[in-house]
Amino acid sequence: MSQYGDNPYYGNTGGGGYLAGGSPFGSANGSPGGQLRRAAAQHSLRPVTIKQLHNATQAHSDAEWTIDDAEVGQITVVGQVVSINSQTTNCLYWLDDGTGRIEARHWVDAGTDDDAERWGGITENTYIRVMGSLKSFANKRYINASHLRLIKDPNEIQFHFLETFTVDLIFQKGAPLRPSEASSAGAAANHQGTTSVYNPQSTATGGMEQYAHLPSIQRRIVQFMMSQPHQNEGIHVAAIARHIGGDAQAISDALDRLMDEGHVFTTIDDSHFALST
Amino acid sequence: MTEHVSPRVNAARLGKYIGRTIRLTCKVVRSQGDTAIVQASDGGEVSVRLTQGTHLDGSFVEVIGTVNDAATVKMLACINLGNDLDMDLVNDVVELWHDPRFAKLV
Repeated sequence: MSQYGDNPYYGNTGGGGYLAGGSPFGSANGSPGGQLRRAAAQHSLRPVTIKQLHNATQAHSDAEWTIDDAEVGQITVVGQVVSINSQTTNCLYWLDDGTGRIEARHWVDAGTDDDAERWGGITENTYIRVMGSLKSFANKRYINASHLRLIKDPNEIQFHFLETFTVDLIFQKGAPLRPSEASSAGAAANHQGTTSVYNPQSTATGGMEQYAHLPSIQRRIVQFMMSQPHQNEGIHVAAIARHIGGDAQAISDALDRLMDEGHVFTTIDDSHFALST
Repeated sequence: MTEHVSPRVNAARLGKYIGRTIRLTCKVVRSQGDTAIVQASDGGEVSVRLTQGTHLDGSFVEVIGTVNDAATVKMLACINLGNDLDMDLVNDVVELWHDPRFAKLV
């Protein structure tokens, strides 16, 4: 998305940016709904349950489908095959994932005979994964399947539902934060009174998350350096050694390691260190 | 579409679905005649009344059936899930399935 960030025509407002023509996305149905987000949604693949497909809404018959106000492009469903109806031009699969039933229509390319091999192995009472898009015809919803395959590992069925739940939470609450972002954004979220379940321990570790993987001595050095007032010339190694205590060689080694990994750097001379962040 | 809803359950949740259709992912303990004893994802044992001529093979199966009472299910269909399945994972899915946060999804 960020590559469009500098384009003055596509601000990040996500609305009201209707351009009469010359859309780089070539979308003919230019609704004032933020072309950028539309293009992104169309190229995404969202894991869903069949119930979500039945509850998806469409502003008009040509509009994009939305689930909880989020536009959906491609979808993927995991379900049990209830029945298969093979016809000359297409194959119909009745799918049931426990939340409801929906038909998946897969168009058969008559010219190729590798289809039997690619879509083979699917029988009734097996689980399959279907990828495609949601369609509606005569008030009946179906999946226009572009790809389907047999699920061989039953853990994938569990995975699909967990992924569906996760994606729903992401749409509701935003993406989980990367560890390095967790402290600042987590604190901000707490201010708004909306604690995300994703914020990994937004406790008062004071931005130490990105250093959590380091050995204890290195972590203590970083912690000490963070606690010091910022100075351009950095902190003298003797001050660090005084604070950490213990073996001078161990401290020297730890600083070397921190420097190798880019967490700290030397400033005015080899005995002054500053944090990279 | 409510007639085609079959929630995923474990042994502990069976009692809330008496008379309804459920999906029970389970491990086959033993199978005799038209009854099988299976272990649900929470470890509880459930008795499954099989449909005529069914033989449960493979160690893990998903039974789709109607709940007779809190420990008995009458089988409608059965899906073989092979021999390798993480039952703790299955139980997590069952519990989240009934989590009010995801009521719109399932």
